[in-house]
Amino acid sequence: MNYAVISLLIPLLTALMLLVTRSRNGWWVIGSSTLSLSSAAVALQSVMHGGSQWLNLGDWESPLAIRFHLMPVSALLLVFTALIHLLVSIYAERSRHSQTKRTDFWPLASLLHAGLAALWLSNDLFNWYVTLELLGLVSVALVTISGPKAYGPALRYLLLSLAASLFYLLGVAVLYGRYGVLDLAVLAELTDAGPTTRLALVLMTLGLMLKAACWPLHLWLPPAHASAPTAVSALLSALVVKGPLFILWMLWSRVAPSELAVQAGPLLALAGIMALIFGGWSALRAPYIKTLVAYSTVAQLGYALLALGLLLYWQKPELHVALWLFVLAHGLAKVSMFLAAGEMQGALGSKRVRGLKGATQTMPVAMFAFAVAGGSLIGLPPSGGFLAKWVLLRELLLQPVHWPWAAGVLLGTLISAAYVFRVVTLAFDRANPTRPSYDPDRFAQWLALLPAILVWGMALISRPLIEWLTGVTA
Amino acid sequence: MTLTYLATGAVLWLLGLHALLVQRQVLRQIIAINVMGSGVFMVMVALATRGTSTDPILHALVVTGLVVAVSATAFALRLALPVIKASRSSAKSSRAVEPKL
Repeated sequence: MNYAVISLLIPLLTALMLLVTRSRNGWWVIGSSTLSLSSAAVALQSVMHGGSQWLNLGDWESPLAIRFHLMPVSALLLVFTALIHLLVSIYAERSRHSQTKRTDFWPLASLLHAGLAALWLSNDLFNWYVTLELLGLVSVALVTISGPKAYGPALRYLLLSLAASLFYLLGVAVLYGRYGVLDLAVLAELTDAGPTTRLALVLMTLGLMLKAACWPLHLWLPPAHASAPTAVSALLSALVVKGPLFILWMLWSRVAPSELAVQAGPLLALAGIMALIFGGWSALRAPYIKTLVAYSTVAQLGYALLALGLLLYWQKPELHVALWLFVLAHGLAKVSMFLAAGEMQGALGSKRVRGLKGATQTMPVAMFAFAVAGGSLIGLPPSGGFLAKWVLLRELLLQPVHWPWAAGVLLGTLISAAYVFRVVTLAFDRANPTRPSYDPDRFAQWLALLPAILVWGMALISRPLIEWLTGVTA
Repeated sequence: MTLTYLATGAVLWLLGLHALLVQRQVLRQIIAINVMGSGVFMVMVALATRGTSTDPILHALVVTGLVVAVSATAFALRLALPVIKASRSSAKSSRAVEPKL
């Protein structure tokens, strides 16, 4: 059996085992994430040497089978997902402030891991519908762990997520009615630019944008992510919103005929710029720490959407690299930021941004993690965020006609710097610091710092990383 | 005949979407989602008869979709319960209007 499938099966079996035995011991999930991470790494290794592989489940042949497609990007995302799950599980088990010990967090987190792995490996429109529904239901259930006060945002999240799935499903039905296939590789050769394809793509794109919280369909995200327990917010922001983004990318870069892609590109890119500006502005004005971090997710997704839109508009394969670098850098930085924010709000006893006054003195490690992760979100060199932005800007600056887009990126950068420095300046205001209610948890703070260091470490392997991604996504 | 069913499915989907956007009560929103779902399933079943023989794949997809719809509705109702109860009790005390989300 292929290692990629093993990396999917381990968390799935762990989730079932935890549900059946009614055990809520986090060490099972930490162990399964470690195993899943190592088999994902082996799968990545084999893809790097041998190229993409088709995995026919149950040995059925092509039209009848459910085929998984192990591409280099999906192998990379498998490793990324397992790594983030491992980090967050250790935090959720060890931190004093995690509200997730001995709760249903553990089976649900494992199920989320399995759902994401299935999404990265699928190559079939209906399979994606099933994985999207799985992700949506599990995410909503994870949000409700923080108790009845989160039911309102969770319910809104659920209803919007279901409506988005039905947009997507109607699009799938229309495409299937027109072409009679669901497999992406077969579909890619058949599509024409007729009105039916157009209608289907519009429906699917709207549904996926709603699920990925792309501007202007992002309003559900901040309350849902901010009201979840810290470990859950980190998983939702770093991983779950990237699932629909992946499908959007596959759909537009593989299935959509290029004349439609050229028409849709500017609209997507414009939505990306708007997300950068309005998401950043809302983060700047957010009264609560976690709401600030959640709005920053909306803003950062703007970069990925901008890269997607421009790569479709100009048909430039180099921008695929920018898109995936943004996804990786944002995922790592956001885990760090949410864990640090959760630690600080737990120890300092205030959910408000104002409560962080003097945090550099009272909780230096957590605040350092927040600032370092923020540096990557702003795109300070030599972080992962900088790499992604550099690949994007290199394309934009080469030709003067593209400079207006570069101005949009610059504006977005300024706003992200503003909301990160809003927190940092407050934390350096040591005159009258908020005293921690009890000793800050050292281990959890260092754990929050780890992904931030990893995202800056991406700079060390920047050249092989960019060259490899350019080779495999083009 | 297929066209009639297709059009009905599309209209149902649109009606559900409209209700979801306009209605403020939780229960009505959940019903609106279900109407949208029925619309999609109707489109899919109608599309299954487009050729000379019936397309079994679309039927299989509809069955899967129904399973998802039933479990999602159950979950939504469970989440809505405290919201509805809270607004009922406040309606009793202050004569506030309908349960709102």
